[in-house]
Amino acid sequence: MTASATSITAEHNKKQNALVVVEMEHLKKSFGNNHVLQDINLVLTKGENLVILGKSGTGKSVLIKCIVGLVDVDEGTLCIFGQNISELKDRELIVLRKKIGFLFQSGALYDSMTVRENLEFPLRRQLGSIPKEKMNSLVEEALQDVGLGEAIDMTPSELSGGMRKRLGLARTLILKPEIMLYDEPTTGLDPITSREISHLILEVQKKYNTSSIIITHDIECTKLIANRIIVMKDGTCAAEGSYADLANSTDAWIRSFFE
Amino acid sequence: MQQLQNENQEAELITDDIAETVSVPIVKRFFLEVSSLTIFTLRFFKEVFKPPYEFNELMKQSFLNGYKSFPLISITAFIMGLVLTIQSRPSLAKFGAESWLPAMVAVSIVREIGPTITALIFAGKVGSGIGAELASMNVTEQIDAMQVSGTNPFKYLVVTRVLSATLMLPLLVVLADVVGMVGSFVGVNLRGNVSGSLFLSQVFQSLDFKDLFPAVVKTFFFGFAIGLIGSYKGYNSNKGTEGVGKAANSAVVFGSLMVFLIDMVAVQITSLFQN
Repeated sequence: MTASATSITAEHNKKQNALVVVEMEHLKKSFGNNHVLQDINLVLTKGENLVILGKSGTGKSVLIKCIVGLVDVDEGTLCIFGQNISELKDRELIVLRKKIGFLFQSGALYDSMTVRENLEFPLRRQLGSIPKEKMNSLVEEALQDVGLGEAIDMTPSELSGGMRKRLGLARTLILKPEIMLYDEPTTGLDPITSREISHLILEVQKKYNTSSIIITHDIECTKLIANRIIVMKDGTCAAEGSYADLANSTDAWIRSFFE
Repeated sequence: MQQLQNENQEAELITDDIAETVSVPIVKRFFLEVSSLTIFTLRFFKEVFKPPYEFNELMKQSFLNGYKSFPLISITAFIMGLVLTIQSRPSLAKFGAESWLPAMVAVSIVREIGPTITALIFAGKVGSGIGAELASMNVTEQIDAMQVSGTNPFKYLVVTRVLSATLMLPLLVVLADVVGMVGSFVGVNLRGNVSGSLFLSQVFQSLDFKDLFPAVVKTFFFGFAIGLIGSYKGYNSNKGTEGVGKAANSAVVFGSLMVFLIDMVAVQITSLFQN
């Protein structure tokens, strides 16, 4: 599927307006002379797992950082739950961020805190002072969800790569976000742990009915979790479709991602 | 806040880009760095008065920067008092003024040596620690994660660290002065026999409010400069492990330099009032 097909799909999705959670139109972002995002049009619908593939440096991470407001957009519109984020005030952006979870590539765990404190931190920031019992039950539930119940009093430096990813996921899930953004969730993990993380992403989607954007280079993971795939090239959406569509594409460059 | 943040980000980008370009004159780089630091300082003053106040984090940082620094500061202060006393004795003995030793050491420690040496040690321990910690948080995307979880990282990380450095250094200096006097007392008694009450009486007779007040006031500025520069270097470090080392190093170098610059200005102002 080519760029023109992308806009057709986007139009189709736009018609299902009630289900649209993220919508980008003609999105552009540059860093100096480096034009990272050039005219991105993208729609994410409720409960969907959208996988973004592409070579390194094509702007995939910048794209999802725009969604949470970590990077400001230069041109175009970016609406989340119908709200244009460039028009939001700081306080409104903080409220919106409660609905978005972001799993960083490195996990971005707070090294100076234990596993428990890592999970309590977002709870305290977002919910203020909550009873100790409720806090404990939320922390335990989040850890059980990712199978890390026994590591509650450990520090991040004592955890393996896979456990760090799980903890990062638990810290994100504890606020019950409606949108999940995964930045290379399986990178640097062995095939078995990668598969476990991929299954975890699916479980999260089923349990919480989240809409997710997953950036990955892992084709096994893509095959397992993707409802829809976008392939990015030079800051644009070069192709869009299902796994089967793109794996059998007539374009050899797109097919090369799936070989 | 968003506008200031954007301006700050742009200034950082410009500074980073330009710093990497060797052809740009060093004077221009200096002014870009100064402008970036000015924006950072303005943002601090904008955020510091705005709720919510991160009181718990401020307490934690004050404990780490103040209480945890006390052993190092006391050892150094004790040695400083002892050595100053031992070194000064022969010079005073030449003029038969050995009895002036406690007074001379007290004035030296309270007015200048105590605040300056303590601030330099503080810059080495706390300034570099802040720089390295924030830079490593920057590299590992912890600052971004904090922002995503609805926390203002500038307020939580920078404001609390700068405030704790500003408040803790004066306390440490006062304690260092006291420990320095103890060192001096030991030094005096190594070759003499001076009672504690006589030593104290000589110390307090020589010291005046005019000695103590400006010396303590300037340490607030020392602490502020050390905390601010450490935070600035760490918060705006390059994304990479090399950036952590650079941030820690430049936090100490520029923090120490600022201590001397502020000291020079403080001495001028103090002498103006004393005259």
